[in-house]
Amino acid sequence: MTQQVTLNIDGALIRAAKGTSVLDAALDFGICIPHLCHVSNIEDIGSCRLCIVENIVNGRSKITTSCTLLVQDDMMILSNTDKIRRLRHNIAELLVSEAPNSRAMQDIALRCGVEETRYSFRNNDCILCGRCVRACTGEFGVKPLGFVGRGKDRRVEAPFNLRSKLCNECGRCIDLCPMVMPACDGPMETGKERLCGNCESKLSDTDLTLGYCVGCYFGEGIQCQRSPINV
Amino acid sequence: MQNTNLDSILESRRSQPHQLIEVLQDIQEQHGYISEETMATVSEELGVPLMDVYSVASFYKSFSLKPRGKNVITICTGTACHVRGAKLIVNQANAQLDVAPGETTDDGQFTIEHVNCVGACALAPVVTENGSYHHHMDSGKLRKLIKSLESKDTEENSND
Repeated sequence: MTQQVTLNIDGALIRAAKGTSVLDAALDFGICIPHLCHVSNIEDIGSCRLCIVENIVNGRSKITTSCTLLVQDDMMILSNTDKIRRLRHNIAELLVSEAPNSRAMQDIALRCGVEETRYSFRNNDCILCGRCVRACTGEFGVKPLGFVGRGKDRRVEAPFNLRSKLCNECGRCIDLCPMVMPACDGPMETGKERLCGNCESKLSDTDLTLGYCVGCYFGEGIQCQRSPINV
Repeated sequence: MQNTNLDSILESRRSQPHQLIEVLQDIQEQHGYISEETMATVSEELGVPLMDVYSVASFYKSFSLKPRGKNVITICTGTACHVRGAKLIVNQANAQLDVAPGETTDDGQFTIEHVNCVGACALAPVVTENGSYHHHMDSGKLRKLIKSLESKDTEENSND
């Protein structure tokens, strides 16, 4: 039998199996912690940083990604404090400036309350969330896809930038990529990027409560577990 | 020739994935760079996926994936060196040899690289030439250094 632990997330006492992440436990319970690089049943690496939470240890708060934080007995987690919202707002701002051409990124920015960005738009095709790399299994379990380079030159590539024989053409990397859905108005040209804010009209005022999951349609672009399409 | 070299490097390290970085370091030292074929061989012999070999080789700056020139000039552009004018040195090297950082001259004599710190900040700006350190560099000193390397090469060639 799996061991169960009890932890406190935003004041709710939640029982979860040992070994699950705080993010999974919160999502199962119905608390929506915004997330992007997390895919269920695949190991998490915490690359997008969107799912940060405050973990109170001995009265001190530590900020960490909830997808890589495993549940423990008597944990105190706060997922929606002012501090977290401010930090998450900044992360969403950075993400949407990196890739304004993605519906998922636009949705996340709106959901985290970003109205304008202080950073210049880059219009990149990749935000290095690593979903494709982690989902890829390849032929014989040998990955043909991975991260190459480091720092600002880090990118996702196959060895020597050639299509590898190990690719079994399952297409999972494309299915999971948050970049495949362009913003609602269609692709934006370089120099004409903006925050579209189209999605705002889809929501009622009560739905706009920041940081709370209302089963909105924004999950489509990133296949959120709680998106109504997946339910 | 190259294959026997590779054999001696891989000797007693076959099927040991944790030896990957040591093997790549030895190849870098002996061949001057890591070619695609050597990476494929290393991946087969050590039992590491080619993707991982490529990831590791491209991650570290001390591994070069392109053939390097006979003389490698490394300019430090770390914080201390940057403040004391590393940019002028980079410009001097670019202008004198007509290559961008990370590239090799057409005759295969010189490669210019820049790194983020060589750990000798008190001597900034630092330039290393084939492993030997030159301290307090400026563009004049670098011009003389490149000149002397060039003349050394022509001397060697005329002796041959």
